[in-house]
Amino acid sequence: MVMTSVKAPATSGRRAPGVRVSGLSVVYRTPAGELPAVSGVDLELVPGSITGVVGESGSGKSTLALSLLNAVQPPGRISAGSVEIDGLGDVVRLRGEELRKARGRHIGYVFQAAQNSLNPLKTVGKQLLDLGRSHDVADLRALVRDARDLLGRMGMDGARVLDSHQHELSGGMRQRVGIMLALVLNAHLVVLDEPTTALDMITQANILRIVREVHEERGLTTLVITHDLGVVAEIADRLAVMYGGRVVEQGPTRQVLGAPRHPYTQGLLRAIPRLVGDIDEARALPGRPPTLGTIPATGCVFRERCPLRAEICATAEPRAISLGESIVACHVAEAGAGPEGRTRQAAEARKAREEHT
Amino acid sequence: MTAPTIAAGGARATLRRNFWRGVWRVLRRKPSRMLGVAIMILFTLMGVLGPMLYPERLPRDDNALYGPPSWAHPFGTDFEGTDVLALVITGSRYVLLTGLVTAVITVALGTGIGLFAGFRRGRWDSVLMRITDMKLTIPGLPLLLVLSTVWKFSSPLAMGLVLGLLGWGGVARAVRAQTLSLRERGFIEAARGLGLSTPHIIGRELLPGMAPFIAMNMLIAVTGAVYAQVGLFFLGVLPFEANNWGVMLNLAVFGGGALTTTAALPYLLAPLLAILLLTLGIVLVVDAMDEIFNPRLREE
Amino acid sequence: MTVIARRLGGHLARGLVMILVVTTISFVIIRNIPGDPLLARYEKLIEQGMSPEQAERATAVLYGFMPSGSLWEQYLDYMSGLFRLDLGQSVSMPGAQVTDVLASAAKWTVLPVLVGTLLSFLVGVTMGVYAAIRRSGKLGDVLAVSGSLLHGLPQYVLALLLSAIFTTLLPILSSGGTADIMVEPGFNAAYIGSLIEHATLPIATYALASYGGWILAMKSSVVTVLGDDFILAAELRGLRRGTVFRYVARNAILPLFTILALSLGLLFGGAIFIERIFNYPGLGLLLIDSITNRDYALMGGAFLLITVAIVIANIAADMLYTAIDPRVRSGEGGAA
Repeated sequence: MVMTSVKAPATSGRRAPGVRVSGLSVVYRTPAGELPAVSGVDLELVPGSITGVVGESGSGKSTLALSLLNAVQPPGRISAGSVEIDGLGDVVRLRGEELRKARGRHIGYVFQAAQNSLNPLKTVGKQLLDLGRSHDVADLRALVRDARDLLGRMGMDGARVLDSHQHELSGGMRQRVGIMLALVLNAHLVVLDEPTTALDMITQANILRIVREVHEERGLTTLVITHDLGVVAEIADRLAVMYGGRVVEQGPTRQVLGAPRHPYTQGLLRAIPRLVGDIDEARALPGRPPTLGTIPATGCVFRERCPLRAEICATAEPRAISLGESIVACHVAEAGAGPEGRTRQAAEARKAREEHT
Repeated sequence: MTAPTIAAGGARATLRRNFWRGVWRVLRRKPSRMLGVAIMILFTLMGVLGPMLYPERLPRDDNALYGPPSWAHPFGTDFEGTDVLALVITGSRYVLLTGLVTAVITVALGTGIGLFAGFRRGRWDSVLMRITDMKLTIPGLPLLLVLSTVWKFSSPLAMGLVLGLLGWGGVARAVRAQTLSLRERGFIEAARGLGLSTPHIIGRELLPGMAPFIAMNMLIAVTGAVYAQVGLFFLGVLPFEANNWGVMLNLAVFGGGALTTTAALPYLLAPLLAILLLTLGIVLVVDAMDEIFNPRLREE
Repeated sequence: MTVIARRLGGHLARGLVMILVVTTISFVIIRNIPGDPLLARYEKLIEQGMSPEQAERATAVLYGFMPSGSLWEQYLDYMSGLFRLDLGQSVSMPGAQVTDVLASAAKWTVLPVLVGTLLSFLVGVTMGVYAAIRRSGKLGDVLAVSGSLLHGLPQYVLALLLSAIFTTLLPILSSGGTADIMVEPGFNAAYIGSLIEHATLPIATYALASYGGWILAMKSSVVTVLGDDFILAAELRGLRRGTVFRYVARNAILPLFTILALSLGLLFGGAIFIERIFNYPGLGLLLIDSITNRDYALMGGAFLLITVAIVIANIAADMLYTAIDPRVRSGEGGAA
């Protein structure tokens, strides 16, 4: 692998930023009033880590991703909370030019591959120049050189790609162009929205490898939004599971996937068919994820589909509590936790009980 | 055997009721749409009943040639002292009847050809669409003018026939596109797989989906036909046998000099206003139909 | 660039077929006009003392084909004359070649139509962008409704209203002819001023007649493009507002070029009304006059030339489209 010129970008003086999302709520205006898509989310992105956000469609994960750039599209708006990014401050308060300049330069956003994130009428190179001019890059030649190197680093013929229109590129190539455009201004916080959806298996693996490598080489803080637990297991250091606009469980990936505390996470894991073993063991979650209009206003959002549902779930919203290295929002998990140390036993006992029934 | 039929009939009745409720809601949302419907009803009444209100030969008043607007003559009088409003009302039947005939022919031909081309595809499709394209590019009005040298359109039916025969191109193209898009979604293959016959697929599966679209085109065809015939009469290339708004315009402009003196101005403005009002009505109704039938807007 | 050549070739071939169809229609009509003008002419010349051969030749000069002979011979005669750009002679303007008459009238149609289209395109597209951005507000509603009204109105209604307002009620503009006949034609301020004054109302009518179409088309196109992912992507990359706007505008204008062809066709046809109302001596007025004067050679010629203008406009619109959309250029198809 040739990576000399990319490894130490000329402007590299900045370090991977930390991000603290606290109490973030996003509502959408509809004929039925303002409905919450994200409610009271607390999430921390550790500098230099890859954090995965997993959830079904409608769980609010994409809205959360857009919130990091203060780019929630109308009729939605951020109604409460803050997104503190090192070196930028609270993004929710940024407006106008300040916000525009933060996007692209500080925060890179990579669209889903199937979405057309490139202007169909312009070559990639011309769009790169537009990007440079918009961010007052003095040396456009150097920018083009950086872009070419980045593309080469990702295994493409940089000069040829810069000379191509979108329709001349395959899905995997577009995705790499998207990553290039997100990184070329030397942003150190990168948000990837469903980076591998709609790509074939081999391209998926390639893209994930590239994300991982580029992340390490450039010292980034990365957020990956996906509905695919496999993607997260492969690249994320930390993991947050979203359901109905809330983060129901978060923690180190190994911890959350190895010993899930929230019944939703457990259900998700159980729903994955294994290559080895009986296919019948995979059990789909019963019911459907809530949509904007059907998220319960009180109590736990997951209770409708929850196998451990208790009475309290209908009336009180579960608090987020620390269990070991994880943070979980579930009444049952909270009750089973008790004093420190019994947590793991309780969880395992419950798991054993479930498997019996 | 009867039970499912009844159930289906019941479901259809419910659907219909919901549909009318939807129509009512869409109309109520914007008062202008009610106005549109009112205008359409007014013109329909005018075309059907209007000529019955007046004697066969409209009365003349030799003392009031080009009379100014008054209570007796709200739009003044023409060069013979005939009430202009009466002329507009009696003239509406020819105009609207032609519009209706044209719309029916346009829509029937256009839908038929479009469905056939989209359904058969292949050679038939490309031949039909070549012809349609050609028809769409040949300038319609000049062609009508040239045709008028050999064909005198004295009856509204003949006029409507010619306009309809000239006007089906756009509808055919659109219906074909719709058919193809339904086909692309596996609609027709699915119906085939269920063992449904071609007439059933076309009549029961394809047409109902396109009906609103076709209805809108019909309204638009009415306006097109009204404009074209009034324009032809206005140009004076047709014999003035019929009472038509276009004849009024021609007499006002080229006979009465409405563009140089103000005396004949009301005579000119009355048929213009009638056309404007009809256009407004149709635009408003089409706007309402658009919302009723457009699923994206309907879901709200 | 072979794609462009292929497209151009296709257009030319289709244009030729159109011209063939239109001239055939003219021929059939001329041969079927009640009272057979050719025979009447021929008999009149004989009456005036010509020999049958002389009369036949004189008639042929007028119509472009011999009155005798089979229908096929007449048709082939007429068509071969067409390819020699010989459309016969005008009856109403004795001695004048139809081609010359047409050539002098054509500029009075083509120039105003093009100027009017350009004007309405610029204004309509700008207003369409506004209507799209403000689509939920009052301004958007007003723009959209005014657009559909203007789009729905026939050109003669617009022309009559404009004429009634600006030449009768508020006589500030004069109409009739291309310029004041009292002014000496030539390159002088008075003549040019008069030219502009006389052209104002026709051009305004052409512009207003097509303006509604532009505003509606641009509005829906902009709304579509605004919802496209690459616009959000451009915003999230922090591109300047002006740059994002240019992305939107260029992508939104693209589908309008298909409408450009339609609109030009409509305007060339509508020239008949507009020139009649403002008494402006272009092709449309020529067509009407030729019909009322029973000058059939001229009628066929005017009809043909209007068709040719539309064919050329179509080709031009498609070439513009091809020049802008890289997808068409690289042969990936795309709408035509």
